[in-house]
Amino acid sequence: MATLFGWIVAAPAIPNDVGGKYVAGAYVVFVVLLLIYVGIMAAKLARIERGLGEVAEIAEQRKADAAGEEKPRAEVKS
Amino acid sequence: MYGKGLRPLSIATPVAFAITLALVFFYAPIEADQGFLQKIFYLHVPLAIVSLCGFVVGGIFAILHLRRDDPRYDAYSYVAIHISVIFAVGGLITGSIWAKGSWGHWWVWNEPTLVSFLIVFLLYATYYPFRYAIEDRQRQARYASVFAITAGAFVPLNFLAVRMSASLVHPRVFATAEGGLPGSMMLTFLCAIVSMALLWVTLVKFELSAKSAQGQLKRLRRALDAPTGPPTSRIAPEVH
Repeated sequence: MATLFGWIVAAPAIPNDVGGKYVAGAYVVFVVLLLIYVGIMAAKLARIERGLGEVAEIAEQRKADAAGEEKPRAEVKS
Repeated sequence: MYGKGLRPLSIATPVAFAITLALVFFYAPIEADQGFLQKIFYLHVPLAIVSLCGFVVGGIFAILHLRRDDPRYDAYSYVAIHISVIFAVGGLITGSIWAKGSWGHWWVWNEPTLVSFLIVFLLYATYYPFRYAIEDRQRQARYASVFAITAGAFVPLNFLAVRMSASLVHPRVFATAEGGLPGSMMLTFLCAIVSMALLWVTLVKFELSAKSAQGQLKRLRRALDAPTGPPTSRIAPEVH
């Protein structure tokens, strides 16, 4: 803990000169690239989730239809 | 299946990045020549190295695909190249920012390291239209593998050619007569490389998991004779 505090105390503040501006720019570009990628992947996953919901709905609808067909047949037999 | 190990990777990657950033800004000394601007080195160089290694890995997967005729390796190769292209974009932009701060120009055309990296990037940028152009999936996978192997072999050759070139404008920080990086900078740099490599592996696994989910959904739709939806992944290989 003391070492960490020593590091922070000794750390150079981001210099507000030309170098600091470019360093901040480069790291921001990296973060923005990552965020764009994560955003695209989130959209992709949302599409997959929507698709899964549709497929589940179709499967449930078919199950309900099959059950509906079975019922009258059973009634006719009895 | 592809999501296996994704959770520990997703934890390890931000932790590694936090450690690296702490080392970069609180531990690594300010370089005497470039000053604070040199901190871009810990971002730009790992991005470039990991992207180049990723291209080679994509080539290795392509070899496995051609040898074993397993479409999974085509998907690995595709995703490895895809993520490496994104890393290469990051490497190019951060390098350009560093060049502007250090040399006063966004781009220097007579510098072999920059131009050769741009050539490699442009070469891999053609990978996507190359895949798009072929409709038949099997042929597409085979041709894309041949491309990935050829381009993957070009990467180390290109790197060696640049190392042997005479220009000394671009900094040579490893294995130079001056002694290379001091210990603290080297440690920080190695942490940065490990973090970037972890990020690459995490994103590759994440992308493969998403592709696998997409493939499974398609199979499910086919099994139910449901409409397959818009052809969003026509070029990308299906992973099951």
